[in-house]
Amino acid sequence: MSSQSPPALACRDVSVRYGDVAALSGVSVEFAPGLIHAVVGQNGAGKTTFARVAAGLVRPTAGTVEIAGQAIRTGHVRDSRAAGVELVHQSFALPPSFTIVEAMEFGAAGRGGFYSRKGLADKWRAHLAGLDIQVDPSRRIRDLPVETQQSIEIARALITDAKVLILDEPTAVLSPAGIETLFARVRRLKERGVTVILILHKIREVLGIADTITVLRGGRRIEGPVPAADLGAERLAALIIGDAARASEDRDALVGKGRPLAEPTAGQPGLAGRSPVLSMTAVTTAPDSEGAPLHDVGLIVRPGEVVGIAGVEGNGQKTLVRAIANLAALSGGTIALDGQDVTARSLAARRGAGLRIIPFERNVEGLSLTSSLWENWSARELLEGPLLKPVHPSRIRALCDRSLKDWGVHYHSPAQRAGSLSGGNAQKVILAREVDSDARLIIAAQPTRGLDIGATAFVWDSLRAARDRGAAILLISSDLDELFDISDRVVVMLSGRIAGEFAAPYDIQSVGAAMTGAGHAATGA
Amino acid sequence: MRDRVLAILRCLIFVAFSLVLCAVVFQFAGYNAAQMLVAVVDGAFLRPGAMEQSLRWALPLFITAVGVGISFRAGYFNIGAQGQFYVGAIAAAFAAELLRGTPALIAVPLIFLAGIAGGALWALWPGLLKLRSGTDEVITTLMGNFLAGLLLVYVSAGPLKDPAGSGQQASSRPVDAAYRISDSLGLSPTIIGIAVVVGIAMWLLVNRTSFGVLASLAGRNGTMVRWQGAKLWQLGLSSFVISGALAGLAGTIELLGPNGRITSGFLPAHGFTAILIALVANLSVVGTAAVSIFFGGLASAALYLPIMAGLPAAAIDIINAAIALFITARSNLLDKLLRLGGRAQ
Repeated sequence: MSSQSPPALACRDVSVRYGDVAALSGVSVEFAPGLIHAVVGQNGAGKTTFARVAAGLVRPTAGTVEIAGQAIRTGHVRDSRAAGVELVHQSFALPPSFTIVEAMEFGAAGRGGFYSRKGLADKWRAHLAGLDIQVDPSRRIRDLPVETQQSIEIARALITDAKVLILDEPTAVLSPAGIETLFARVRRLKERGVTVILILHKIREVLGIADTITVLRGGRRIEGPVPAADLGAERLAALIIGDAARASEDRDALVGKGRPLAEPTAGQPGLAGRSPVLSMTAVTTAPDSEGAPLHDVGLIVRPGEVVGIAGVEGNGQKTLVRAIANLAALSGGTIALDGQDVTARSLAARRGAGLRIIPFERNVEGLSLTSSLWENWSARELLEGPLLKPVHPSRIRALCDRSLKDWGVHYHSPAQRAGSLSGGNAQKVILAREVDSDARLIIAAQPTRGLDIGATAFVWDSLRAARDRGAAILLISSDLDELFDISDRVVVMLSGRIAGEFAAPYDIQSVGAAMTGAGHAATGA
Repeated sequence: MRDRVLAILRCLIFVAFSLVLCAVVFQFAGYNAAQMLVAVVDGAFLRPGAMEQSLRWALPLFITAVGVGISFRAGYFNIGAQGQFYVGAIAAAFAAELLRGTPALIAVPLIFLAGIAGGALWALWPGLLKLRSGTDEVITTLMGNFLAGLLLVYVSAGPLKDPAGSGQQASSRPVDAAYRISDSLGLSPTIIGIAVVVGIAMWLLVNRTSFGVLASLAGRNGTMVRWQGAKLWQLGLSSFVISGALAGLAGTIELLGPNGRITSGFLPAHGFTAILIALVANLSVVGTAAVSIFFGGLASAALYLPIMAGLPAAAIDIINAAIALFITARSNLLDKLLRLGGRAQ
């Protein structure tokens, strides 16, 4: 580091063990003040543990932490905060029923005494305005969009005069536009002299924001901090993945080049002739509380085809999935699976006809985190039979064991709770349940959100394999690179309508225009 | 397996804790704590005939508690076992009155059906309210307890009143002696048989059917099961109805067995003890059997305490409550101690 002043944060030989698992092994790293530092790595590389050690939430088994040149007691969050280190967690910790004012005051941990409602509101409105966060501070946390919740988390972390702000996977919950806003905010913080440490795993995001990059792999520091300018995307990808390098085709996509592949395996000539697996005609849904309703949606997915759904989040993608799953009430139109009208049929019947869903919310709609793996894994098959059908848990556990091994899930026992798995492994459990040989239509909703590079490539491979077996895939994603890379067609949704359809080679400008409603509803070549 | 051993160990430690705590409290209150503990153990299990007496209390409690466990597993906090128990007993008493004179072979099964249906009905309406319009089942089932308690007062002092009765509490005419399934001691092969059949059937339902697995998944995460295509109301309502039916069955057993009649305010803690048992047993059927015997023992000791230790019978309620507090408090610290050297989460 060329800087004269001591590093804003320095760790020396930090090791963390959980039981017999080493989360971090001898990590030493120094972060220069006033810069944006990215710490990257796959799931399980130790990024979050590292963030927690730095913030004093986890006491390392060995090693020391220095803040601005001063050694601090490790594992004492008060000491770390007093020294100016704040951490914004991956999952937000704001009390949902609080108003913003209450949450901020709560976070400030004031001394008690008397308050005036108005005084507090003014105080925190000023604080938020100082950070360019425009929101009515009397709104309740649970009513805020995730982007705003995150801004509030950041604002709360900055109540005290934070010198070092650590953001753990801040982009995982954000839309592309939200990510831009976040990054703009991070850059402004840097101008104010705050040292920002971002825990990230998307290479494109890393290269777009970071001044320096530190790579963790398997709990060890592999590289860095090195100036971001010195690392190309491909070099960085290689560092993150290590020896288990993926096929270069995937690597390019993971790196986020965003160039359309020349019809990788998609160019099936007879595709248009095959009768569709999913055909929706003029589907309109009744308005409900869960999202934008659909208007006159017509959509066809053929066997062996991947159709991507692009769109800014909240434009009816979730309702589309719920409509196909019979979890949203239709006020018009029909839905057919393999030529059979299923409009009036239950989700169970539709699943019987080969509908499979990798849902948006992995931990809510996809898995019961406090239930065992085998229960989660077997739910779909159990629902195919009558409720009083005898089951043999030991047999299911054995089948589950085999299946999860086939899918490369890392786990101890089928009896362990689903919530004990990392994000990538949890998604693999869902894949193991949903992507079977009877699958006709697989809806993959944000299937790689929050996953690291290796797990993302794995998900893509599985979807491609299912496609090659003749399944129809409906892929909903907010990641255009992902959509462009594996979709045969991309359909754009805007305000609950189909706003355009595009075929490779994709033109990001016109897709983007359709997403925002800027251009005409284009129909690509 | 290791987890199961730990769970049992944890339970035992909590029970020991609460007994010691109660002993300390009673000691300070001027009673002889050692004598109290001896009396509890003696009255529950050691005294001649104590085992039978404990079983007399344990078996109906077990049946109700298994039902409670089933609705809790499915994620519904049905705390209306007491009301369902009462309504079951009331329905059975009406049936017994209507059928008076019919041969026992016909009447007894019908009385049982009536009791089971009564309990099921008393769980059905909170279930429907919950699943149709999201009404909090804790409120409705709790209210149901009061309603059922008042209904019992009305029925035993009104339509079913025993004209010969002169006790402080109104009670119904005694059931036809031919219909009784046990004497007033309350233990008979029939009752044991019913408890065993219920235990096996419910164990199979919970552990060996799709229903059991799916209801448990639904109890932990209903959204996930809905996305899998399950009809939540089907799982939920059947869980409600099964728990009510079992409480009603226990009410019928109390009517046709030891009590022989219904009395206003009889066994006022039955349903709540059953909830306690289900929670202590961590909702497992086998665990419920074991814990029922323990609580049956305490109930039996309650009658023995005044004689042996000079304590009021209500002292057992204090012990019950202490155990409930300790066990539902679920200490992380103790878990850590028990797992010494194990993997931290």
